[in-house]
Amino acid sequence: MLHLSDLKKMPENPIIETNHLVKSFKGSNEQVVKDISFSVYRNEIFGLLGPNGAGKTTTISILCGLFPPTSGSVIIDGMSLNGDLAGVKQIIGVVPQDIALYPTLTARENLNFYGKMYGVSGKELKDKIELWLGNFGLREAADRRVSTYSGGMKRRVNLIAAILHDPKILFLDEPTVGVDVQSRNVIIDHLKELNKKGTTIIYTSHHMEEAEHFCTNVAIIDNGKIIATGSPKELINSYPNCNNLESVFLHLTKRSLRD
Amino acid sequence: MKLKAAIIKEILILLRDRVGLAILFIMPMILIFVMTLIQDSAFKTLNEKGISIVFVNNDNDSLGIAIERGLRSSELCTVFDSVNGKPATAESAQQAVAEGQFLIGIVIPPGATAAVKNNVLQLVSQTLGQDSVNVTESSDSVEIKILIDPITKKSFIASVTSSLREYISGVKTRIMFESFSEEISSLIPDKEKKPSNAFQQTQIIKYTEVYASKSIGEVVPNAVQHNVPAWAIFAMFFIVMPLSGSIMKEKTEGSIFRLHTMPSSYLLLLNGKIIVYVLVCLLQLLLMLSVGKIFLPMLGLPVLYMGQSITGIIIISVATAFAATGYAVLVGTIASTEQQGSIMGALSILLLSALGGIWVPTYVMPQVMRNLSAFSPLNWSLEGFYELFLRGGDVYSVIGSAIKLMIFFVITLGISSWINKARRRI
Repeated sequence: MLHLSDLKKMPENPIIETNHLVKSFKGSNEQVVKDISFSVYRNEIFGLLGPNGAGKTTTISILCGLFPPTSGSVIIDGMSLNGDLAGVKQIIGVVPQDIALYPTLTARENLNFYGKMYGVSGKELKDKIELWLGNFGLREAADRRVSTYSGGMKRRVNLIAAILHDPKILFLDEPTVGVDVQSRNVIIDHLKELNKKGTTIIYTSHHMEEAEHFCTNVAIIDNGKIIATGSPKELINSYPNCNNLESVFLHLTKRSLRD
Repeated sequence: MKLKAAIIKEILILLRDRVGLAILFIMPMILIFVMTLIQDSAFKTLNEKGISIVFVNNDNDSLGIAIERGLRSSELCTVFDSVNGKPATAESAQQAVAEGQFLIGIVIPPGATAAVKNNVLQLVSQTLGQDSVNVTESSDSVEIKILIDPITKKSFIASVTSSLREYISGVKTRIMFESFSEEISSLIPDKEKKPSNAFQQTQIIKYTEVYASKSIGEVVPNAVQHNVPAWAIFAMFFIVMPLSGSIMKEKTEGSIFRLHTMPSSYLLLLNGKIIVYVLVCLLQLLLMLSVGKIFLPMLGLPVLYMGQSITGIIIISVATAFAATGYAVLVGTIASTEQQGSIMGALSILLLSALGGIWVPTYVMPQVMRNLSAFSPLNWSLEGFYELFLRGGDVYSVIGSAIKLMIFFVITLGISSWINKARRRI
C-alpha cells in the first residue's frame, strides 16, 4: 500500500484524523470498513474515491456522526467524535448523496429551515440565503417548490443547505452525480471558492477526471481498505503506465464489475 | 428558534398537502353527517315514534278506542288507520305489513268490547253469587290479531304486545270496577254515598323515567350525542395517516439523514411535529363540535349537548390529541415504508375504533368485547366525552381517562425514541 502523503511534511495537526476505523453492521460479520487510517489537513480538498460498495459512504457517515464505528477513533478539529459529537456537528456541513430537501417547500423555505437548524437566523441567514441563491443562479426560482426543479437545481440547493453556517469542514457525498456539465461546473467552481476561504472539503465521487482537477489529495478505497493515498499528480507519477487518475484507479481497483 | 423553525416547516408542509387536509377535516365531517343520519333512525326506533303501526278498529267501542288512544299517546310508535289513502281493513293491513309498509298491524275484531263486558259481567255475577247468563268461550273470547313484518325486532314486538295487554287490562279493570260499583250501589240504600269517578282514584302508581345524569337537566342519548364525540375522536386518531406519512417521507426523502448530521436533536424535530398535530387535533374537534351544534340541527337532528364543564372538555380533548399524536409518531417510527405506515395506521385505527365503541357503542357489545374495549385509547377518550356529554360529569370525572391517555402518549413516544436510538446503533 502506498502512503505518499506521509512523505509530505504537513505544517500543522490534521483537522480530521482517523485511526484504525472498522465498521461492521449488526447481524453481519462482514466488515464494510477495514482498519482505515488517514488524515486530512486544513484547507485540503480530500477525495475519497472508490468503486460502488467500496465503503466511501460508510466512512463519510461515520465521520459525520451518523453512526459510530465498530472500533477505531476519529478526531475532528481536536474533538473526539465519541466524546463531543455535538461540538463536531457545529463545525461540519454535509451534502448527502440523495437530495435531502422537502419537495413541497420552496428553495427559500428549505434553506430558512436548514439554516435555523444550524443556528443561523435573522438578517445573517437572510443575507446568506440571498447570496448563495444568487451565486448558484437560483434567485429567480427561489420561491418555487423544489419538486418543480430540475436535477441540477436540486443539487445546488442541496449544497447551499449545507454551507449556510460557514462550516469548517464540508462533507460531500457525490455532489455532482446526475447533473449536467453546466451545473457541475458551477458547483465545482463554488466549492473551490469555499475552499479558498478556508473550508476543508471531504469529497466522494466516481468522476475521476473531476477528482483529478478538484482534489488536492485523494485516498483510493476498495473493499473497505485504503489502497493508495496522495495528491492526484503524485499517484499518476507513481504508475509509469498511467497518464491520468482514472487509469491509476482502474489499475488499482481492476476492471471487474462491482455492485 | 429551532423549535419555531420546525413548527413553521411542519405547518407549511401540512398546508400544501391537500389530500392530507381532506383526510384530516373533510372526511370526519362527512363521517359525522352520514353516520349520524344513519344511526338517527335506529336511535329514534328506540326513543321516539319509530315503529309504524297500522291499526284497524272494527270494534268502534271502548276497547278499540282505548287501545288506539293508548298507542297514539305512546312514544313507542306512530299509528296509521289508513292504507294507501283508504281506511285500513284487516285484509289491506295484512297486505301492507307483508309489503313492508308497516312493521306491525293490529286488528281489533267487531264486538270486542261487548265480549269483554259480557265476560266481566259473568265474572262479577259469579263473584257476588248472582245468577248469570251462561257465556260460551267461543262466542265471547276476543281475538286481537297482531300482524308482524318478519324483519321486526323481537324487542319491538314484545313492547307492542305488552302495551296491548296493558290497555286491554285497563279496559277490563275499568269495566269490572264499574260493574262491581253498580252492583254494590244497588245494594246500598243511600245513593248519595256512591263514590264518583272512583276508578281514576285507583291510579296510585305512576312511572317516571329519569336519566341518571350527574347534573341538573336531562340528556337523552341520541345519534348526535354518540356520533359527534365518537367520530371526532376517530378523526383525531386518524392523523396517524398524515403524521406517520410525514415521518416516513423524511426518512425516504433523505431529510432525516441531513437532520441527524446537524446540531439539533431529533426530539426537537419531533416536538415540532407533535405541537402542530396536537393543534390540528384540537382544530378538528372544534370543527366536529360545531357540526354537532350548528350543522346537524339544520338537517333536523338534535342539537349536541356538551355538558356543563368546558374545562373538562379541554382536558379530555388535549389528552386525546396527545395520545393520537403519540400513536402516529410510533406508527411512523415502526414502519419501514410509506405504504407500510399507511396500511398499519389505517387498519390499526379502524380496529381500535371498532373495539373502542366508535362504530357501535360498547354497551351493545358482548361482554368479551366490552372487556377488550378497555384496552383501546379511543374508548378511554369516548368514555371521557360520555361523562361530560351524557352523564353531566365535571372536571374530576374525566381525570381518569385523561391520565390514561397521557400515559399512553408518554409510552408511545418513549418506544419511538428507543426504536430511533436502537436503529442508529447499527
